[in-house]
Amino acid sequence: MDLASIVDSIYASGAAEWMRTSVKAMPIVEAIHVMAAATVFGTVLVVDLRLLGFPSTQRPFTRVSGELLKWTWAAFVVAVITGGLMFAANAPTYYVNTAFRLKMLALLGAGLNMAVFHTITCRTIRAWDQGVPAPLAGRIAGAASILIWVTLIFLARWIGFTKGYNFDVPQDVNLDFTF
Amino acid sequence: MKTKVQHRVVGAVLATSVAVATTAMMLAAPAWAHHSFAAYNMEVTKVFTGVVTRVNPDANHLQIFFAPMNEERKNVIRGEDGKPIIWAVEMAGSAQAAKEGISVNTFPPGTIFSMALHPLRDGRPAGTRGREGVIFKCPGRKPPAPGKHCDSVEGHTQYGTGSLPPEKKE
Repeated sequence: MDLASIVDSIYASGAAEWMRTSVKAMPIVEAIHVMAAATVFGTVLVVDLRLLGFPSTQRPFTRVSGELLKWTWAAFVVAVITGGLMFAANAPTYYVNTAFRLKMLALLGAGLNMAVFHTITCRTIRAWDQGVPAPLAGRIAGAASILIWVTLIFLARWIGFTKGYNFDVPQDVNLDFTF
Repeated sequence: MKTKVQHRVVGAVLATSVAVATTAMMLAAPAWAHHSFAAYNMEVTKVFTGVVTRVNPDANHLQIFFAPMNEERKNVIRGEDGKPIIWAVEMAGSAQAAKEGISVNTFPPGTIFSMALHPLRDGRPAGTRGREGVIFKCPGRKPPAPGKHCDSVEGHTQYGTGSLPPEKKE
């Protein structure tokens, strides 16, 4: 099964149909998605700024990340569920939308950046947890994370303004008929 | 201890806010909330009978893409390059359209239907159905007689009230 078929299956699902036909579903799901995304970005931003030494390095990094990242993950799960529902409602349109594809790429980039930071840079955490600047790799990870998440937010808003008109005729639609 | 109490207060405030907002949205009557028709030339009316190629069930504006049929109602109109000319008609969001019975399921590709639209001012082949433009769907794959629309075909389905308006040029 190729990706396009999976997209079609999602589009044909009961959840997608519910999102398309319920007047309440989309605004409620979208509002929850925005709140979840704001929580993800807000908590990630505080951790990233701490990596960059703002406002100071006095508060242990492990304490800041330990207190906030659990909220990041909880909100991320909510964002994925609500985002998935919004995607399902009009999957074929989102699938070909450049802004949506770039957003997914940014999400992947944020995940990779976080994975590299936690698996490699954090090995030396005891040496820079408090009172000293994070190593260059840590500061780069923090700056990259902020850049990626800001880009992702812009791309997310861009999606709504770039769906426009797609006049292409789907391949399986036959117009070569005569009545 | 104080911190725990503070956390509970913040949690309660957040939960209450979400509950109030959600309830307000649930109770709100669905309204026709089109931002503006400024992009369309509402002084011009075009009436089409066409064949659905695709429905885009956008949450804000459902779009039906279609290939207009010729006057004989035998084929779709083609451009100089031989490719079918495609138009789009926009209306309310997918959920409101579904309440009327207009959805990806009721307008699958190949559906023949008739409607009036007010075209975009920028010249692209698309327009709005307007506030309550009537749409007629032909039964099955049965096209209307030459020069006629789906409202003349026995067994047609009507969405909206009234009849198709006459064409109107600027």
